[in-house]
Amino acid sequence: MGTAIQIQNVNFAYGAKQVLHDVTLDIPDRQVTAFIGPSGCGKSTLIRCINRINDRIPDARVTSGSIHIHGIDIHRPDLNLQELRRRVGMVFQKYNPFAKSIYDNVVYGLRIAGVTKRSELDEAAEKALTNAALWNEVKDRLRSSATGLSGGQQQRLCIARVIATEPDIVLMDEPCAALDPLATLKIEELITELKKKFTIVIVTHNMSQATRCSDRTAFMYLGKLIEYGDTLQIFENPKNPQTEAYITGAFG
Amino acid sequence: MFDPDKLIRKGLPKGYFKDILVRSLLGGITYLIVLIAVLLFAKIIIDGAPALFTSKFPFVDVEFLTAKNETLHVFDDAQGTRLQLPASKYSEYLNAHSGESIYNEQTFSYSGGGIAGPIAGTALLTVGSMILALFFGVSAAIYLAEYAKQSPFIHAVRLAILNLAGIPSIVFGLFGFSVFVLAVPVITSTPSDRTLLAIPLLINDWVLSFQGWNSSLIAGCATLACMILPVIITASEESLRAVPQGFRDASLAMGGTRWQTIRKCVLPYSLPGILTSSLLAITRVAGETAPIMFTAAVAAKDDFPWQGLGNPFDILSSQVQALPYHIYTLAARIPNSEYTQRAQYGSVLVFLLLVAVLSFGSMMLRAKMRRKLKW
Amino acid sequence: MAPEERSIPQSRHRFQRQGFSYERLIKYFFASNAGLTIVILVLIIVFLLKEGLGFFPGYRRELETYRIAGLEFVDISRKNLTAHEQLTSLLNRAYFAEINGKSTREMRRTQESSALFNAFTDQIAPTRDLILNNPQGETDGNSAMFASLQANFEKQRAKALEKLLPTPHLTADERKQLIDSLRTRPAEATDDPPLVTALAAEFAAAQQKNAEPLQAYRATIDSFESAGMDLGSAIMEMTESVTATKEKLQNADILEKDRKTLLAAASNEKDPAQRERLLSEANAALAEKPDTETPMQALLERRPDCVRLHQELKKTSADLFPQIPQSLNDSDAKRLLNAAHSAWPVFLADLDAAPQKINAWKHTDPVPLSDAFISFLTGKNWITGGEWQDFYGILPLAVGSLMIAIVALIIAIPVGIGSAIYVNQFAAQREQSLVKPVIEFIQAIPSVVLGFIGILVFGTVLREISVMDAFQWVPGFPIEERLNIFTAGCLLALMSIPTIFSLAEDALNNVPSAYAEASEALGASKVQTTFRVMIPAAFSGILAAILLGFGRVIGETMVVLLVAGNRIKIPDFTAGLGTFFQPTHTLTGIIAQELGEVPLGSVHYRALFVVGILLFVFVLGINATAHHFVNRVKK
Repeated sequence: MGTAIQIQNVNFAYGAKQVLHDVTLDIPDRQVTAFIGPSGCGKSTLIRCINRINDRIPDARVTSGSIHIHGIDIHRPDLNLQELRRRVGMVFQKYNPFAKSIYDNVVYGLRIAGVTKRSELDEAAEKALTNAALWNEVKDRLRSSATGLSGGQQQRLCIARVIATEPDIVLMDEPCAALDPLATLKIEELITELKKKFTIVIVTHNMSQATRCSDRTAFMYLGKLIEYGDTLQIFENPKNPQTEAYITGAFG
Repeated sequence: MFDPDKLIRKGLPKGYFKDILVRSLLGGITYLIVLIAVLLFAKIIIDGAPALFTSKFPFVDVEFLTAKNETLHVFDDAQGTRLQLPASKYSEYLNAHSGESIYNEQTFSYSGGGIAGPIAGTALLTVGSMILALFFGVSAAIYLAEYAKQSPFIHAVRLAILNLAGIPSIVFGLFGFSVFVLAVPVITSTPSDRTLLAIPLLINDWVLSFQGWNSSLIAGCATLACMILPVIITASEESLRAVPQGFRDASLAMGGTRWQTIRKCVLPYSLPGILTSSLLAITRVAGETAPIMFTAAVAAKDDFPWQGLGNPFDILSSQVQALPYHIYTLAARIPNSEYTQRAQYGSVLVFLLLVAVLSFGSMMLRAKMRRKLKW
Repeated sequence: MAPEERSIPQSRHRFQRQGFSYERLIKYFFASNAGLTIVILVLIIVFLLKEGLGFFPGYRRELETYRIAGLEFVDISRKNLTAHEQLTSLLNRAYFAEINGKSTREMRRTQESSALFNAFTDQIAPTRDLILNNPQGETDGNSAMFASLQANFEKQRAKALEKLLPTPHLTADERKQLIDSLRTRPAEATDDPPLVTALAAEFAAAQQKNAEPLQAYRATIDSFESAGMDLGSAIMEMTESVTATKEKLQNADILEKDRKTLLAAASNEKDPAQRERLLSEANAALAEKPDTETPMQALLERRPDCVRLHQELKKTSADLFPQIPQSLNDSDAKRLLNAAHSAWPVFLADLDAAPQKINAWKHTDPVPLSDAFISFLTGKNWITGGEWQDFYGILPLAVGSLMIAIVALIIAIPVGIGSAIYVNQFAAQREQSLVKPVIEFIQAIPSVVLGFIGILVFGTVLREISVMDAFQWVPGFPIEERLNIFTAGCLLALMSIPTIFSLAEDALNNVPSAYAEASEALGASKVQTTFRVMIPAAFSGILAAILLGFGRVIGETMVVLLVAGNRIKIPDFTAGLGTFFQPTHTLTGIIAQELGEVPLGSVHYRALFVVGILLFVFVLGINATAHHFVNRVKK
């Protein structure tokens, strides 16, 4: 089992405000890695560094350190940013399908990559929706607006949209934060299903969710990585007292 | 399968030229507009500056701003020197040189003297209409923001505001003419022939006669106020709503009445916002021509509005010159020649500077307020 | 001991609300101010209708008079005569275009030389006039003064010679010769410089030479032109009699109105003697109904005559027209000739139909109110204050407004939306804070200032560009009028760009940032995100921006009043794209121009209010549609 993402000594700042302090961890291939920690601890910022979506925010930058994906430094000047984001998909906290039809949402990534052949698009859409466990629910209304779906369905549609381009890594930034428990359950089942194909990094503030679906867990606090290890070990036998305090509910 | 080497691009990124093309096309369009605006402003400054500025202290042609507007006489005296004199100085000249003959006389209406009359008229119109519009507009906004609940009445008010905002200014001119000039009631002892309805008041043979205010300052102010009302209401309501709900809740919870809450806890905080957006409304009121063409404005007037009045209130019923209407007259009714340029470009420059100061002032104030008032 | 019964106040508990309190009064005060907006809107509608609705009965009566007096009868023939004249004019213009097209060089040379000479003469005119007004030698004392005048003249001449107009089509030698002749020209000379005369002669010779092969064409045009003379004189004769009848009818209408006023006054009068006097006055005013029958019979007797004249005109024209060449060499001439050829069948059909129309016409046909409506909405003429007959047809005004709006929107839509996209999506923060205030400032420029710029700057520049050789490929160049549809359209575009810009920018701003984030996370570039996600999501808002810009353009008054050229005529569409360089008039402009000059309550006055109603309805319709789109986004 190889290493998918290598994060080395990453420091990150929004303008003058430093949010990540010297974070180092390796994320293994084809496993689910969960980032946990109280809100504001920098876990979302870290995950958003991996596909460089933080570039959108003015003045936000990695001040030192490096992130390698399968050995490629994602900050090297000749990096193909579009290709990176295609290979490293992202699912956001609040489901955000475009105000287009379900079908157009799913094939969006392929279309912007230049795929125009109808049959290819149809095939990919069906595959992605099936993998996202949504196909049976929407196959009769692919042309209707995506905003007409329920919250859980919309989030699964966003997952389908990401996996339609067949990425290698899928980043999930609190994917269930805006969903009810039933929809959350479905997404969690989906994550377990998806890890066969993809490397998954998930940010969550829900510790039971981390135990349910992740293989490895990283606990972050105040912009620092406190502890990183197998999920079972972290939750049953934390080495760091801060981790222990957090998972026993002393703060956060 | 994923090939990490694909992440490294060879040569230029895909769609690089398309990207550059789209950006530069859109950017070009944008800066074209900026360029046109700058060119227009520069042209007017260059042509208008000689009329307004002088090389000597105080560097501003005070006479142009303070003298009455007159007809310009251009002629050669017996020595062949070209003279340009406004009408009053022209008659002085004729008296002083009664023996001599003059040659090649030309006259240019509205081109001599200064533009004090139009400036005064515009100031009066603006102040009058803003007083009316602010009084009624802010009151209406208070109702909408503080009292109103969902009701058919509120729905109708909002619809009316929306529609009023869209009406072309010339239609406001027609409205002002048919209502304020010809139809509103006045109390008089001698009703005019065209009165719509005359109701005797049974005191001193006075009659309430629906005959309008004629073309007058007050009719113009009322028309402009109606036109600007929706703008004032919308802006004021926005400012009122920007005051945090907590302020009101706190005041009400301590036993304050609605009106006390509004007066002490809402109005003081929204007043800066209301006034700032009123500055923008002023530029619009000062700049409109169509609504005052038939309701207040007159092309030529010998006196200032406040001169020759029986009592101070007569100023309301007198016609005034107005800067935008003056510019219209200068542009449409007199030929463009080297002798009229001073009046034409000078007036436009003064007007434009006025508008620029007001609108930039409002922009600065708004920016300053945004920084200062953060709840 | 029973506790003393506490006296319960008669008034209500103090938590209970008072009946009509100070607080309520304040609330009602504010509510009534809010209600003021409704009152104003209702007043606008009521007064527009009050002044406007009287138009249709009044106009109907005018149309009735038009028929009873026989003016309509004369206009049947006149219409054909006018068509004949227009056809002749087209042929003539084609003829001259052909001749001048072949002698363009000579024409330019003579135009340039005389332009230079005229500009020079204008410059020196004042000093020259002074010399001529003070003849030398009458008194000896004047000689000193004469010398000073002479010196003054020379000074002015030297100044004028310094800046002369360019003459690109003259050779350097010729220009030098011309300047020399001006330099040595005596003050009292009145003849043109030799070169100017020579060039004019050169042009005339070239014209003559080019006219030679066209002699047959010229002769045909001349005989074609004279074919209409008989019909023309017949119309002239009829015109006199029908105008007299019309005048009688109008006077009778005025008397009738006076009588009604007197009768109304009489019925209000309490004093019997006074009432008697008013009644008798009213009866005296009762004019006998003017006799329209006799002149009408005389007019109708001319029917066979009119029919004969039409048939003759048709026969002569049909003989002559086929002799017109099918095509000419010059492109302008070709276009004009084509227009003539396409107008010909229509003209012929009209002539054919004329006898039948003349015979079928009846002065006793009633004029229903619907005629007034139809004639107003579809009338091609807006003729007021004329001696013949006033027509209130809004087509020329509506077409003018619409064409100006088209030009304005064609420019403003791409520019406004393009810059909104740039500023919202691509510009850096610093750029935004530069561009936005500038565009906001454009919005604050009063429209009358833009109109002024249009008259004094833009129109003149446009005309100068249009006479340059390099731009002759543009249709419609060189333009005849510097104030035209295009000039007005450009300025209105400048006015509506800020409206479209700020609304479109708002619409883009309101697109959730999650859309852009999701799109970029899927690997889309900035341009792809903008065009595939942002613009589709903001589409309704952008559409609303365009509609509101359109509403602003249609409702704008001062710019079009100053810059559109104010010619009330449906543009001549045979000019192709050149149509956009013709002057026109607009719905808003006509109100601003004419309301100050019409008598209160007249049909013309009311017509302007009906135009106002149309504008009101039209602009409100546009705005309602726009807000519909905006609301759709909000939901």
